[in-house]
Amino acid sequence: MSSGRVVYTSAGVITSIGAGVEAFEEALYAGKSGHAVSARLNGAAAAEIVDFTPVPWLGNKGIRVLDRAARLLCVAAQMTLTAAGQTVDPAGEGDPEAGLVCGTMFGGVHSIATFDYTGTTEGLANVNPADFPNTVINSPTGHAGIKFKLRGVNSTICAGFASGLQAIGYAADFVRFGRVKHVLAGGLEELCEESSLGFLGLGLASPDGIARPFGRDRNGTVPGEGAALWMLESPESAREGGREPLGEIHGFGAAHDAGSVHGLHASGAGAAAAMREAITSAGLTPADVSCIFASANGSRLGDEIEARAIAAVFGPGGAPPVCAPKAAWGEAMGASGALAAIAAGVALRRQLLPPTAGFEATLTDLPLSAQPQPISGGHALINSVGCDGMNVSLLISLWRE
Amino acid sequence: MKRVVVTGLGVVSPVGIGVERFWKALLAGESGIAPVESYDTSMYPVHLGGEVRGFDPVPAVRRLSPDKMGRASQFAIAAAREAIADAGLDLHALDRSRIGVSMGTTSGEPHMVERYNDARKTSTQPAPCLFSGYPCHVIPSNVAAEFELGGVTLMIPTACAAGNYAIGYAFDLVRTGRASLMLAGGSDAFSRIPYTGFAKLGAIAPERCQPFDKNRKGMVPGEGAAMLVLQPLDSVRPGTRIYAEILGYGVSCDAHHMTAAHPDGDGAMRAMAMAMKGAGVGIDDIDYISAHGTGTKANDRIESIALHSMFGARATKVPMSSIKSMLGHTMGAASAIEAAACSLAVQTGWVPPTINFEEPDPECEVDCVPNRPRKIDPRVVLNNAYAFGGNNASLCVRRYEG
Repeated sequence: MSSGRVVYTSAGVITSIGAGVEAFEEALYAGKSGHAVSARLNGAAAAEIVDFTPVPWLGNKGIRVLDRAARLLCVAAQMTLTAAGQTVDPAGEGDPEAGLVCGTMFGGVHSIATFDYTGTTEGLANVNPADFPNTVINSPTGHAGIKFKLRGVNSTICAGFASGLQAIGYAADFVRFGRVKHVLAGGLEELCEESSLGFLGLGLASPDGIARPFGRDRNGTVPGEGAALWMLESPESAREGGREPLGEIHGFGAAHDAGSVHGLHASGAGAAAAMREAITSAGLTPADVSCIFASANGSRLGDEIEARAIAAVFGPGGAPPVCAPKAAWGEAMGASGALAAIAAGVALRRQLLPPTAGFEATLTDLPLSAQPQPISGGHALINSVGCDGMNVSLLISLWRE
Repeated sequence: MKRVVVTGLGVVSPVGIGVERFWKALLAGESGIAPVESYDTSMYPVHLGGEVRGFDPVPAVRRLSPDKMGRASQFAIAAAREAIADAGLDLHALDRSRIGVSMGTTSGEPHMVERYNDARKTSTQPAPCLFSGYPCHVIPSNVAAEFELGGVTLMIPTACAAGNYAIGYAFDLVRTGRASLMLAGGSDAFSRIPYTGFAKLGAIAPERCQPFDKNRKGMVPGEGAAMLVLQPLDSVRPGTRIYAEILGYGVSCDAHHMTAAHPDGDGAMRAMAMAMKGAGVGIDDIDYISAHGTGTKANDRIESIALHSMFGARATKVPMSSIKSMLGHTMGAASAIEAAACSLAVQTGWVPPTINFEEPDPECEVDCVPNRPRKIDPRVVLNNAYAFGGNNASLCVRRYEG
């Protein structure tokens, strides 16, 4: 009989500040920022995975059919499975009780746009039929499911910037209801012309290419990218597989800013509702929360709204230590929440909150710091205050039997 | 766990806009498939599509501006508005903070990408940015904003099985009490992107869609939307019409090939088995199956193999029809529209036919309810859907019997 509890037992991550949990952790605590000028994106500021190649993790075989988005996801999946001690037999049958749930905002939009461009400029005769499967939004998740023979649930989840956290919440249910034994869950986003164009076009990008979350001088964000996955499973499954639970998926909350039309609700009502639900669904109160991983990305309005929502939940001056990790990896959209979740897991284990890279003057009294901050207790709250009214918060806890 | 029932339906389809016209057309065996009008198909060897004709978003989209959103969002809002009215809900009298929207799609708002590329080609105008209005979460987000809903809102774009995934997740949220009510379904707008792809694969039928027929020549891309109101039974007001009760759902992945189904129907069977297990029913309980039934050689053959492996001697006894013969393949909306049809089937006692059926295929030994609807008073039905990425989803619904 399942306990109904869901734990995370291994992780895989690739983003601008590092590939692999160890490198990621080291860069994060060193206050490294991935913000730079991107040659690939015509000189725009971006937090990009420079010179990305999947070969060190995936080898050369079978990667030709994968677009860049699918490669990023497959790299994170390979890392997570390796860390979990799982090997995939290419000739084997795979596991019907293993799944993959991936949040993303754009999916493989570059492949979609390229396919259409070829079709309309060069005609049907010049379209490569092998490119067609990459035009469905669930293509990266599908490719990774095939590559790693994950035969259980294979879902793609889109909830804007909140996609990664929403995917983790969705996947945890599949474990809870006993539909899969273990599931890789997290998020993916690829920086490409199509996904980054909006940051410039809509005035979301920082003119000097630096995201300053919660900073007084913040002037916009920097688009980022990455892929991050956890392996989620029941404690019983972890024990069977000889894996130590790193922590527990303890609470989840999602709310749409109902009153808004295309955007954020100025009051932060949806963000506050998501945080409250994540905390109460774990059977906790705001006073129990040890640290917060904020969604703030340097946006003038968005950061202010999140600060207001945190104050509404925790009371003025009542917030525990806060980290705004997008100072490091930018606004990685559908991957953001999953990247933050993995960072939060590390922070709980170390009882030390990573710094908010380059943090200086603040607009709020939130306890942020450019230095690592000690924390006490075992509960981290992770926020995604999304675009188009989507807000999700996740509460994770250190594992206790 | 709470019991979850369907109390409202809304449909935008190639055979008609609105549930009443949709259902009447299905039982009359009408086809919504015709030469494509929304763009020029002269570069293709095929020209058929299942387009929605005469759709006017203005009466449906009231709080938001219809011209500031894509066609898939307009369809979704129109279907949602009908479903809400059909359920007799006065949203403003309800606590909307825990009412959410769960949707599926294949292409999201593909016209944004088309416009982006058209601008790039001409380069006389700046390419529109895809950030606002394109990412597919905007469709449920627009629905939530239109009706001022504050619950869980998300898109599950698992391609051509997406509607079932979305309804399944909504079912989970309602039965666990995490949502007080859900709008669930799918939406897709006709686009040259999938049309080009399917044409290139040689998968589009030149003359008509004939699922399970020996001479079937392919599928027909279509568009549309359906939304269902899912409520916990304990919140349904007395006197409300209940179409159906949702009993369970199952999902699986073939993990075999991006576009080709597993030759044994492995994932399809596991999805059906998971749905039936969750529903607490067995194969002897299933009275009708809404097939994925695209009309391609491979899909219909493998679907038949899965049915026979799963149902044994009962395989030819369980009616299994494909309404795609009439609508074409409405992509991510398809299984949501089919879930609406399943709900109507258990409520009215009628099952819709597979039209254009002439010659049985020894490789598809199924009772596809050829050409005429049938009154069979089905009690428990399965709604099957399969997709790119090897995704399979089955939904199990039952006639509401108190």
